[in-house]
Amino acid sequence: MNIEELNNALKTKLSLYEIKEDQDSYANLIAWIKLKEKKEIEAIAKTVKAYHGRCVVATCYQNDDSTHSIIYHFDIDGLLVNVQIDTDNKAFHSIASILPSANWAEREIREMYDVEPVGHPCKDRLFLDYSIAKGVLNDYIPFSKLSVGITPNDILWEKVNKGEK
Amino acid sequence: MKEQIKIGPFHPELEESVYFKLTANEDKVITDVEVINGFIHRGMESLITSKNFMQNLILTERVCSLCSNNHPFAYALAIEKLAKIEVPRRAEALRVIADEVKRVASNLFNVAMLAHLTHSHELMKEAMKTREYMQDLKEIIWGNRMDMSANQLTGVKYDLDEEKIKLINETLKKVEPKVKILAEKFENDEQLRSRTVGVGILSKEKALDLGVTGPVARGSGINNDVRSKAPYSLYGELKPKVTLREGCDVHSRAMVRFGDAMEAIRMVKELVNNLPEGSTYVEKKPQVPAGETTVRVEAPRGELIYYLQTDGSQKPKRMRWKVPTYTNWEALKVMLEDDKVENATIIVNSIDPCISCTER
Repeated sequence: MNIEELNNALKTKLSLYEIKEDQDSYANLIAWIKLKEKKEIEAIAKTVKAYHGRCVVATCYQNDDSTHSIIYHFDIDGLLVNVQIDTDNKAFHSIASILPSANWAEREIREMYDVEPVGHPCKDRLFLDYSIAKGVLNDYIPFSKLSVGITPNDILWEKVNKGEK
Repeated sequence: MKEQIKIGPFHPELEESVYFKLTANEDKVITDVEVINGFIHRGMESLITSKNFMQNLILTERVCSLCSNNHPFAYALAIEKLAKIEVPRRAEALRVIADEVKRVASNLFNVAMLAHLTHSHELMKEAMKTREYMQDLKEIIWGNRMDMSANQLTGVKYDLDEEKIKLINETLKKVEPKVKILAEKFENDEQLRSRTVGVGILSKEKALDLGVTGPVARGSGINNDVRSKAPYSLYGELKPKVTLREGCDVHSRAMVRFGDAMEAIRMVKELVNNLPEGSTYVEKKPQVPAGETTVRVEAPRGELIYYLQTDGSQKPKRMRWKVPTYTNWEALKVMLEDDKVENATIIVNSIDPCISCTER
């Protein structure tokens, strides 16, 4: 599959989105898609499934304004498709029931960022013990930073005292 | 009557910590599987964002020992993509040599463990002795039996002279026929076949659904080998032959690993005897602008992906990676269910789990 074919397959299923073509250093094609409507990730998942593709993994990160972005990384027979959705209410639509390969990635986002994959079939913790609050990558200070956290531009305790992240 | 069998989290037969709760019926057939992870979770993705690009090369090599060469390889590819650095061909060849040498050793270790678990001790000893040649080679050329420190940003840290190339050729001359003989024995040994054929079934359909990769996918007839589907470095020219098996069982996965090892030996021989001239790295500190990229490589256990996001500073803003075991774990539930309790350790071994990588 190439990116034009992918775009043709998605056109009728999505309302507003951006798609751009990229290549790795060895000319392998990579597609980057940004969805306006986060719910439409389900349409993407169904298309990936129809082409016998899979979810490789998903990446979440917290933006400066405390919203979150999630990038799903899909594979369709060697074509890597990165799809970004944004959420400002700490929730997104799970695609694990469409693509079971997304199961762990979504569970990990839940416990690392406290962003809920709504409709995910499994509520169990993946890696972290229940005694640790959800959202460790939003709030927790790494132990290594505690040990060696003092640098000219980053004085840990000053930040903590000011209530900064 | 139901019976619950608990394996782990710390158990002599497990190399790393993980906890299985298996439920079995009166015939000792597994009816339910619960896997509890997290004992080796180290928050490495958080740590990564507090280190600079050079420091992270060291850190990625220490995600785990088994795939220790693949992580810095993929990480370097991500940095080089963003910094628009073209690595010299000699460096590309040296990267592939290091990776494929590691693949031979890694796969031989897994099949040796399989022989051990099926009580085929002679086979186990033969496989470990053969692997030892590769371990010695790593120690002599790269100075370490596990962490090779082959990669650096913009190239590689090592080079091969005539003496070292001769050593590699001599080692492979010994190893290649031994791997061939071992593969034949694993293919035909009755004791081993009786414990592995038809055991730990993962159908092609389920394998596709769960998104498994590496020998686990190829043992169920699925080719998603990154070296073939999205070739990086010199793999586009080397055109690795992908071994596929349709048995969907423990035996098929082991035979795929032999196929991978033989192909790795073929590629290393081809590269060391036609090593491109030139530099082993670009003499330029990578200037990494703001941006994002994804890169993939094929580790011995399957696909390894790195996502890197940068903001123009000297540290990653976000870095995420996914190792093959991450998706292969879920497939274990399918493989274990409806199989006998006595096969559990053999089935777990057949995905060649790398827990440190998975949990990070």
